[in-house]
Amino acid sequence: MSEQSNKQPNRILVIGGGFSGLTTAVDAAETGAEVIVIEKNPYLGGRVAQLNKYFPKLCPPICGLELNFKRLKNSPLISVYTMAEVENVSGGPGDYTVAVKLAPRFVNDNCVACNACSEACPAERPNEYNLGMDTTKAAYLPFNQAFPQKYVIDSAHCKADCGKACQNACKYEAIDLNMKQESVTFKVSSIVVATGWNPYDAKKIDTLSYGSVKNVITNMMMERLASPSGPTGGKIVRPSDGKPVENIVFVQCAGSRDENHLPFCSYICCLASLKQTTYIREQNPESKAHIFYIDIRTPGRYEKFYWKVKDDPNVSFTKGKVAKIVQAEGSDDVIVEAEDMQTGKKVKVRADMVVLATGMQPAGAAQKINGVNYTEEGFALSNQGVIAAGCGRNPMDVARSGQDATSAVLKAIKTGLGR
Amino acid sequence: MEQIIKPDLNFVNDIIASGGESLKKCYQCSTCTVVCNVTPDEKPFPRKEMLYAQWGMKDKLIGNPDVWLCHQCSDCTAYCPRGAKPGEVLGAIRKMTISEYSPTPFAKMAGDPKYLLVLFAIPVLLFLSYIVPKGYLDFSQIPRGEDGGIVYAKFMPVFPQIDVTFGLAALFALACFVVGIKKYWSAMSAQLDGSGAGAQLKGNLIGSVTATIIEILTHKRFQKCNVTKDRSTAHLLVFYAFAGLAITTTWAIIYLYGNEFLGITAFSLFHFGESPYPLYDPMKILGNASALTLLIGITLVTLNRMKNAEKAGKGSYYDWLFISVIFVIVATGILSEVLRLADIAVLAYPVYFIHLVFIFFLFAYAPFSKMAHMVYRAAAMVFARHSDREV
Repeated sequence: MSEQSNKQPNRILVIGGGFSGLTTAVDAAETGAEVIVIEKNPYLGGRVAQLNKYFPKLCPPICGLELNFKRLKNSPLISVYTMAEVENVSGGPGDYTVAVKLAPRFVNDNCVACNACSEACPAERPNEYNLGMDTTKAAYLPFNQAFPQKYVIDSAHCKADCGKACQNACKYEAIDLNMKQESVTFKVSSIVVATGWNPYDAKKIDTLSYGSVKNVITNMMMERLASPSGPTGGKIVRPSDGKPVENIVFVQCAGSRDENHLPFCSYICCLASLKQTTYIREQNPESKAHIFYIDIRTPGRYEKFYWKVKDDPNVSFTKGKVAKIVQAEGSDDVIVEAEDMQTGKKVKVRADMVVLATGMQPAGAAQKINGVNYTEEGFALSNQGVIAAGCGRNPMDVARSGQDATSAVLKAIKTGLGR
Repeated sequence: MEQIIKPDLNFVNDIIASGGESLKKCYQCSTCTVVCNVTPDEKPFPRKEMLYAQWGMKDKLIGNPDVWLCHQCSDCTAYCPRGAKPGEVLGAIRKMTISEYSPTPFAKMAGDPKYLLVLFAIPVLLFLSYIVPKGYLDFSQIPRGEDGGIVYAKFMPVFPQIDVTFGLAALFALACFVVGIKKYWSAMSAQLDGSGAGAQLKGNLIGSVTATIIEILTHKRFQKCNVTKDRSTAHLLVFYAFAGLAITTTWAIIYLYGNEFLGITAFSLFHFGESPYPLYDPMKILGNASALTLLIGITLVTLNRMKNAEKAGKGSYYDWLFISVIFVIVATGILSEVLRLADIAVLAYPVYFIHLVFIFFLFAYAPFSKMAHMVYRAAAMVFARHSDREV
């Protein structure tokens, strides 16, 4: 070790506390680096925390997340800031200054997650964790296994005239409604940008009628619908009338590979839809799933997963992109239209519910961090000591996000060592 | 069924050169066929045409009624995820179909800007040869009418100069069309037989023709366009303006030959003297009304194209040449009349000369220019109905 690095320990700031950011943090800390994690949400885990199962093993993602949470809790070198956003990055390798804005949580470390505040709270808010399919109280825990296990008060939906019901209900003096927004500045040697992705706004794809035709949902909504912690307790029923879904259609490339929307392949959507056919098939042995696709893309060893799903006689496939979705007359059923390219006929398929395999749009498309470079599509670019990782850099699955994060750690450490 | 595909790579390059530059971007997702409101559900277009075009399957395209069932609504182009512009590609294929079935070298020249001057030189020299020997380049030498006004018939006599020239040009065009349509019809029939789909010509031809004529008169299919909704109205105006002008021309021929030459007074029911006819002559009223309709129609066509260019594509040289020619014809036609009435000889004669040159261009080259679309599209629409292609 050089003399310099002995004097100044490696300090890494990680933007984003999703799977990539978490992996970066724990890997870096376990090499002895000091890590600061900046997360916009009131909880860590990002998109993975919303998933019902991983492909191809079909195991619950929360257990992998909890392993990382445990590593994180055990490390004295990691500081986590939730409800925090980076406002500006300046400086150069080895000496960056990062300005961070901390939004008030209105709940302090005294919180034991007893739920008393939530019970007392009279106001409701749309639950973005469940993609708006249900609501929570304005005093809420983002989800059962949320880390940190601390309630939040959503000031945008908090009714000031409730007489501080939550504060009165809390026995631990954990609620402080006078908390203010704060600004903090960090001096670090390198930065890992792991800002992740957002589901592409399906409303923008007018041919697919999301928002105007009932029972057309997105793949992320499907994850929540199928999840035991989701709005229906894991029962896959359609939103309009609660009817159990027996007949489902998946529409691939809903926005992806389309220069009018996302001009790239989102990598995960084919596998996600294949995985989601298993959700519905497990719930009902009579159920049928149908996938419309341009190409089924299951890179590398994932091909085997495709074969496995294809072996199910109740899962069928049509090569042809859906470009029209309408409501069946006098019914809540949905009719999708495509050309079956193998027969050269236009086909109309009627379904209880339609899942749009919406693609991943990098967070940088909606919100760019001052001082970080981006591609036209909003993917973060690495530049000197600012290292991009995960889905904010390129569409990828969870396993590759982990690898990408580990590789970012090495680059960050090298930057800190001045090499 | 085993099928040996013989790709014609030159054909692919020709499509690309004819305005189908984006052809190779297509990745066969079939968004286009689904958003298309004018395609039949069986073997829909334009996705299969994009594949044929990429693979250079020339026979499948030039013997294909579908490329003409396409009205270039450009819904496909607007929604294409790859910017492959199927609407523009099919436009290029239509141009090549016209070219393929035209029996003369004019076909190639009509689609290539470098021959534009040659195409114009023919009528210019022809009309100059009528007036130069008489010294009419000096406008004061041109005889005037009885009331001292400008009379174009004295500048360029109706018979034989105008009528023989245009009569022959029309006959030439007609002959080319007959040859072209016969070839196209047999190519389409051959594709049916070779398709193995069991499709056969059926029903009575008269019925198919009648249904097609009704469809053309109402522009019913054209109105299903989405992205370029306004185009059908503009085209309808141009279409009826041309119909009005065709009636006007026939009417004028009856006046001239029936009445003035043969002295059959029965034709002179509404006939008020000799050309130039007064503005209250019903034939004149129809002619002027049609001209104004054409001016409005072709202006709308141009504006719509410019408005839609971002979504629908900018159009090809072939398209714009046709639109420009019609525009010049109607503009110079109206100006000729106005300048004649205003007695501004120095402008009137040149404008009328240009008017004649452009009319010659439109008629003589009709089988090779985009004007031919009316004949080929009508034939394809009849064939589609007649071969039980659901429409």
